[in-house]
Amino acid sequence: MVLAELGGSISRALQQMSNATIIDEKVLNDCLNEITRALLQSDVQFKLVRDMQANIKKIVNLDDLAAGHNKRRIIQQAIFTELCKMLDPGKPSFTPKKSKPSVVMFVGLQGSGKTTTCTKYAYYHQKKGWKPALVCADTFRAGAFDQLKQNATKAKIPFYGSYMESDPVKIAVEGVERFKKENCDLIIVDTSGRHKQEVALFEEMRQVSEATKPDLVIFVMDSSIGQAAFDQAQAFKQSVAVGAVIVTKMDGHAKGGGALSAVAATKSPVIFIGTGEHMDEFETFDVKPFVSRLLGMGDLSGFMDK
Amino acid sequence: MFQSIAGKANLEKADLEPALKALKDRLMTKNVAEEIAEKLCESVAFSLVGKKLASFTRVSSTVQAAMEDALVRILTPRRSIDILRDVHVSKEQRKPYVVVFVGVNGVGKSTNLAKVAYWLQQHDINVMMAACDTFRSGAVEQLRTHARRLQIPIFEKGYEKDPAILVECRTMNLLMRALSKLIYVNSPDLVLFVGEALVGNDAVDQLSKFNHKLADLSPSPTPRLIDGILLTKFDTIDDKVGAALSMVYISGAPVMFVGCGQSYTDLKKLNVKSIVKTLLK
Ligand SMILES: Nc1nc2c(ncn2[C@@H]2O[C@H](COP(=O)(O)OP(=O)(O)OP(=O)(O)O)[C@@H](O)[C@H]2O)c(=O)[nH]1
Ligand SMILES: Nc1nc2c(ncn2[C@@H]2O[C@H](COP(=O)(O)OP(=O)(O)OP(=O)(O)O)[C@@H](O)[C@H]2O)c(=O)[nH]1
Ligand SMILES: [Mg+2]
Ligand SMILES: [Mg+2]
Repeated sequence: MVLAELGGSISRALQQMSNATIIDEKVLNDCLNEITRALLQSDVQFKLVRDMQANIKKIVNLDDLAAGHNKRRIIQQAIFTELCKMLDPGKPSFTPKKSKPSVVMFVGLQGSGKTTTCTKYAYYHQKKGWKPALVCADTFRAGAFDQLKQNATKAKIPFYGSYMESDPVKIAVEGVERFKKENCDLIIVDTSGRHKQEVALFEEMRQVSEATKPDLVIFVMDSSIGQAAFDQAQAFKQSVAVGAVIVTKMDGHAKGGGALSAVAATKSPVIFIGTGEHMDEFETFDVKPFVSRLLGMGDLSGFMDK
Repeated sequence: MFQSIAGKANLEKADLEPALKALKDRLMTKNVAEEIAEKLCESVAFSLVGKKLASFTRVSSTVQAAMEDALVRILTPRRSIDILRDVHVSKEQRKPYVVVFVGVNGVGKSTNLAKVAYWLQQHDINVMMAACDTFRSGAVEQLRTHARRLQIPIFEKGYEKDPAILVECRTMNLLMRALSKLIYVNSPDLVLFVGEALVGNDAVDQLSKFNHKLADLSPSPTPRLIDGILLTKFDTIDDKVGAALSMVYISGAPVMFVGCGQSYTDLKKLNVKSIVKTLLK
């Protein structure tokens, strides 16, 4: 399971703390250090981890706790709250409605899995009775249109693109118009990979977005990404209205913590995860049950309301 | 925190701890894998415990200097591979020089294979490409596009004489057996691991698991492992250069090329000095 190792390490740290007879500063620090280490090993951004550690300490403040308070419970709850805060932006993303035309634009770093995920997303909805269509607005990468075309053909999804035209804005607009006319209810625009250091590439993305007015921009992120995740995700968010995140390649051994950083940076929820190269290797993602599972806690979710 | 303890007899682990902790944190913010940062700090501690602190130096600067030495040592290749020279040796023996590009999904194998092809062309070497990725949609068209732009033939069947042949292979788990066999049967002259500078802690797993699999699956008692690393997307990470260190540390293989953009000329050599400086900044 995704981030399972992280969940395991955190529960172990909590368990160890529970085994201690008295909970003093040292026990708390040991527990927090273990959790910190697990988060860093999973590629959560360093600063987020530090902030989280400081917040938990502030909430828990052992000196202030009157005798008789259940320290263990207070610590566990603080950890749970902080993790939820990191993963759960608090508001759901825009969800397209069947039979009502929506434009969804995919953006992300080079090679993160955008093109593959576009088809997965289209295929997922097609199976539920939607009429999706794919637009290839990547005029840069060698073989990009062939890739999208072959995927779309395999899934029997209509597609639009060009071997000759080099302006992604033009193609995106033409494709969206065409599929609106054809009454498609989910028009998916695939774009080139880009990164924040190249300003012209970000400007191009902004233009495609401005011209197609997407209802939802999805940021696609590779689960193996390290400390660069936060800054890149934040830069995308500042350029276009990122509303959701999809994390890919969760079938590898990556720990996926960069995804947590991306959620924090874009304040957008993870809505799907990619778990393989095939069209159907795609799963929906819900934050709350995920965090409960992450902390290995049927038992922990209960204490929230106590 | 980093007070001078000059005059004290010998450095003890406890004296070093605060400085080492700060250094480990710094390495991790630069995207060095946690495991590697930890190991490095341990070895620096080991090299300093029991030593006398030079007068008027602070523990933190002593630790930093020791770390700098360690980083330079790790990143400086022990074995040097001169591709151009080796290609010429093969040519004299009328054999092609074969390079295999391996790496996980989307790291930049095809693109950087094309860049290496261009670089070889610049040195008057005849190049051919072979597309072994018959799985991903558009993969063959992608390589064909590069081949056409660079006017390089694409290798289909049969062995040609002389040229350097660049082969792309993906390292999905399922494909590992086939790949291991391919490496054994074709005995390439160079196995290049392509890894992206963006990768975090997974760098360690990618390389160590890859080498283990190659060793386990090899039908020969002396398996071929990774010869060198091609580090891609170096232009996307600002000062978070730690993946270079993680990859070299775990594999012992040198970084032979650094990909720093999406065009054919965006291929550089690793600048060890500047990496070390950035890591410690
Ligand atoms: N194992 C695995 N591979 C994936 C997954 N999603 C995508 N990939 C692979 O990752 C590689 C890159 O995917 P693409 O869809 O081409 O990525 P992209 O973001 O469109 O790349 P650019 O357009 O070049 O920026 C391909 O080999 C995909 O098959 C996944 O969930 N699991
Ligand atoms: N910024 C940047 N992008 C790069 C670099 N190298 C490759 N890319 C981009 O990364 C994306 C993926 O590159 P590919 O060469 O298709 O990767 P691959 O490893 O062959 O992918 P698969 O065959 O699908 O596993 C493309 O958009 C490339 O343009 C680099 O050094 N810098
Ligand atoms: Mg693409
Ligand atoms: Mg490829």
